[in-house]
Amino acid sequence: MIKKIKVQDAVGTKLAHDVTEIRPGEFKGPAFRKDHTVCDGDICHLQRLGKDHLYVLDLEHDEIHENDAALILGEALAGDGVRCEGSPKEGKVRLLAERDGLLMVDTAALAAFNMVEEVMCATLHKYTLVKAGEMVAATRAIPLVMKRVPIDRAAAIAKQNGGTLSVKPLRKAKVGLIITGNEVYHGRIKDRFGPILTEKVRSLGSEVMGIDFAADDPEMIGTAVRGHLSKGCDLLLLSGGMSVDPDDVTRHGIRLAGATEVHYGSAVLPGAMFLVAYIGDLPLLGVPACALYHKTTILDLVLPRILAGEHVTRAELAFLGHGGLCRDCEECIYPHCPFGKGA
Amino acid sequence: MKTFEDLLASSSKAHGHLCPGQAVGVRMAMLGCRFIGLEDPTEHSQIKKLLVYVEMDRCAADAIAHVTGAKLGRRSLKFTDYGIMAATFVNLETGSAFRILSTEEARDLVPLYAPGIGGKAGQQLEAYRRMPDSVLFRAQRVRVPLKDCDLPGPTRYRATCSRCGQVVRDRREVLVNGERLCKPCAQGAYFQDAQEITWPEMNWTPASHGISRETHRKRLMPAPVEIKEKRGIARLCAEIPPH
Repeated sequence: MIKKIKVQDAVGTKLAHDVTEIRPGEFKGPAFRKDHTVCDGDICHLQRLGKDHLYVLDLEHDEIHENDAALILGEALAGDGVRCEGSPKEGKVRLLAERDGLLMVDTAALAAFNMVEEVMCATLHKYTLVKAGEMVAATRAIPLVMKRVPIDRAAAIAKQNGGTLSVKPLRKAKVGLIITGNEVYHGRIKDRFGPILTEKVRSLGSEVMGIDFAADDPEMIGTAVRGHLSKGCDLLLLSGGMSVDPDDVTRHGIRLAGATEVHYGSAVLPGAMFLVAYIGDLPLLGVPACALYHKTTILDLVLPRILAGEHVTRAELAFLGHGGLCRDCEECIYPHCPFGKGA
Repeated sequence: MKTFEDLLASSSKAHGHLCPGQAVGVRMAMLGCRFIGLEDPTEHSQIKKLLVYVEMDRCAADAIAHVTGAKLGRRSLKFTDYGIMAATFVNLETGSAFRILSTEEARDLVPLYAPGIGGKAGQQLEAYRRMPDSVLFRAQRVRVPLKDCDLPGPTRYRATCSRCGQVVRDRREVLVNGERLCKPCAQGAYFQDAQEITWPEMNWTPASHGISRETHRKRLMPAPVEIKEKRGIARLCAEIPPH
């Protein structure tokens, strides 16, 4: 039960919730914390914050305070690699990444959670790369006091499949690069793909074990693939030869090397001619020439997911279509833009 | 209890088609039986322990009846026409009862639980397979006051309507100004203008020669052609094809 009393009559009572103070451009936070005992000196401060009345709580056995509710919700939402920050502030609990990695969000569970009345959770986008300690979500119960059952039901929904939010660590892959194309192989032009791909691989914590060059010859590409595998590489990136010209034979070479799955084409620009293939469980990524020009491409969307252990197939490449159009800004600000965020 | 997929298959066959309502009904019944501690209500040892109230006459109602084995004629299935996608499961032995409601938000969440699946019904069906119970249902512990005249078993009470003479079973009669009346006489009925009829060859029995049961069933009742008064009750003689 909630009772409203005049602030002048509140001396000696305990605050039912944090009281937020906002000083534009200067401060936003709790001026008073829940359970603070109101004293004479607080009255003017509370009135300056617009509080002429305060609530006094007397909870029924089936009711719960927003802070307790927020903790239950936060703990239920946090899956592997995510932790609930200690005590709630202003009724809100923050969820933090426990490690560096790729944020995973069970979007169906999140939507189902948010469909429960009087609770909410807002998250970063699924597949965002996060650092340990970074806030990935926040949750709260919306009223000051509510029934316990909806909170428990929301918590049950949040816990499905091991928690709505998790951070998957990126494995340290041993990457083999294969640069295809007669123009590079025969020395007509200098390779520029190698350094770009190497930098992208290193920025995600993996290492390049070796670079091979192959002409536009399926047999030679297949041999290069097998060569990297025999050296212990567990992820291969192949550049070039992904287009529609007669000399574009990389796909053929990958098949000759024994690919068990080949998914060619993605719903992303730049990156429509991207390829994901597998030899057993080992992934091979065919990177089209657009990666030479554009700072951010399909590779930046898929490579972290591959390193996080996701098995990418036709469906994953297709679902990237919504939000998969790069705006090609003069100054690229990815990942702080909508590119790849709609999947 | 059988698996969800086995129950869905047999329920759909009994119902006539596979549809999202079947999936919801089968799952609701499985959950309801779990709540009241009946592992397999269709088993002989459990069949008399269960009472089920369904609140809608939709596909799910058939699925609930199929999974639980509750039957209208056995008085273990009750239909209360609330138009609500809900059912209550009562354990007659322990008295425990739970009302399970299908959530409205589950419909909105279908595309999220079954992305990339074409066709509205197909996507709903798949989503209702994948959603956890917590998303698909809300549940309430309830108390269901039961009178002995509501329970399965032989007819315990009979009354006669003082207006039309109809026998009324199981305390369904209504007392109006000291008169015992059947509900149609007291409150009106779903039918109107009832006129009793006679029909040709009305002495037919299943043992009669010259007509199969199937042929008889397929014959349609034509429009009435003659009305005559007898004992104050309007009687109708219908034109019916001969056997």
